[in-house]
Amino acid sequence: MSLLSINVKPGRTACWTLSWLLFATGIVLYFYTAQKRHKENPDDRVVPTLAQLAAGIYQAAMSPDGDEAPSADVQSQSAFARFRTSMLWTDTVASARRFFYGLALLFPAVLLGLHMGIFPYFGVFFLRFILFFDKIIALSVLPILFIAFGIDELSKVMLIVIGVTPTIILDTFNLTKSVPPEQLVKGFTLGASDFDVAYRVVLKQIWPRVLNSIRLNLKPLMLFLFAGEMIASTDGLAYRIALLRRHMGMNIIIPYVLWVAFLLFLVDLAMRLLNKKLHPWFREA
Amino acid sequence: MTASAPALLDPPPRADPLIRLDNIHVSYALKDGTEKKILDGIDLDIRPGEFISVVGQTGCGKSTLLRLVLGSETPTEGRVLVEDREIHRPDRDRGYVPQKYSLFPDKTVCDNITFGLEVEEFSLVTHFTPRFYMRRRQFRTEAFRQLAKMGLHESDSTKYPDQLSGGMQQRVAIAQALVMKPKILLMDEAFSALDPSTRAGMQKLIRQVWKETATTVLFVTHNIAEALHLATRVVVLAKNPDADGSRIALDLPVPGHEFADDYAPLAARIEQATGHMRSDAS
Repeated sequence: MSLLSINVKPGRTACWTLSWLLFATGIVLYFYTAQKRHKENPDDRVVPTLAQLAAGIYQAAMSPDGDEAPSADVQSQSAFARFRTSMLWTDTVASARRFFYGLALLFPAVLLGLHMGIFPYFGVFFLRFILFFDKIIALSVLPILFIAFGIDELSKVMLIVIGVTPTIILDTFNLTKSVPPEQLVKGFTLGASDFDVAYRVVLKQIWPRVLNSIRLNLKPLMLFLFAGEMIASTDGLAYRIALLRRHMGMNIIIPYVLWVAFLLFLVDLAMRLLNKKLHPWFREA
Repeated sequence: MTASAPALLDPPPRADPLIRLDNIHVSYALKDGTEKKILDGIDLDIRPGEFISVVGQTGCGKSTLLRLVLGSETPTEGRVLVEDREIHRPDRDRGYVPQKYSLFPDKTVCDNITFGLEVEEFSLVTHFTPRFYMRRRQFRTEAFRQLAKMGLHESDSTKYPDQLSGGMQQRVAIAQALVMKPKILLMDEAFSALDPSTRAGMQKLIRQVWKETATTVLFVTHNIAEALHLATRVVVLAKNPDADGSRIALDLPVPGHEFADDYAPLAARIEQATGHMRSDAS
């Protein structure tokens, strides 16, 4: 049977092998390139070797700051204590704090989208403005945000708000509109009030799809967070990457990039599992 | 002549209408600026305990008529009165069983049935209180009773709607509506998507429910035999030849409607009134 047939069903082994093949190819290609470059130039810092990466990870996870030499006092602490004060951990905590602030601000956006979809006057009042707001390129207003809100946390959180919330509002609005009218009428005939219908009928039905929408917007959320951190911050994962770029610290930048991807993957996985657990009735399209 | 004789000959005093449609016109504005008339002067009185079937060709406004009584649609002209009060929105006095989307997909069978009882007694805030959880046990008992009446088992109560067959879904939808003890039950092509044998079972069930509860039923169907089999009165909607919208072409009481052999002449009259409707009942 042809590999390009629509009706073909890959076996278990084929699925496993094929799904990991690109990862394996990438890793092999990377180390091949690193080895080749280091043969030509032993001081090459662009494509670090496995040993350099390991040293970089150790430095990031066990040293307080990339620029400071670890003190004797720090050296005597346990590995866990050293990790808690390491630049990887402090940067992760700083970025995670901003990330969760941004995530928390998406929930009012969901409520706004819900109300816009349910209550016609709400919809009429907000829709045109949100549609326009959605077209504003968030990064283009970054200078305005720094002038208006300063260069501390608020401007970075506002960047996330401007970048992601219009999408979530509009997505929730569309999801609300897609609930069959029969369901709303049914709610009323069972004695539900307008708010009962909004929260106990519609929101409950669209909630798994809203969570999916938020999940799919995690990457844009991180993108805006990173943009803010790279331009004006004194801590955070993106701040560290931008800082190390100046020193060509690829042995730490690459682990940082993979660490961010891993964290985002974990959040995505957690949200998917939570969605499945909370909404057993929900079948993803 | 004795004093009692005329009383025996007189028809029994008729109850006041429960539902009154008073000179109803419904029309929609089209994009080209013209108007599309759906209903054109409907006058209809429905008395408590009647089982009314509304039949007519596709697009003649049967479902619009039902939505007017439901309160989810307002007439362009005229009034819809329920117990002499003009209605403006759906409420718990009028139960509703549509053809599709009759159940909340995010709730189990039991939660679908108890939903009305819960929202009636507990608001958004109070349904987090301990009293709610205590009352919920009683609601569940009532739900199981309704399920049994509908011929479903307690084991079905934990299933989600998409795990049920079409017939089972409609049984739950009827239970969900009846648990609120509505004065009127509105059914919009409720059995249309079911296979013939399931449909026959559902017809039997709804007749039984109607007899037991004496709920007034407004049943919209495109199936003449089903309409005759179920109803005490069949209302036929048909396009008005002189105008765009539909009017009541026939308002036909169905005496002794349990005798299937008598259907043929009535069905012929209905078919004549509607034009070329099919009579393909189960």
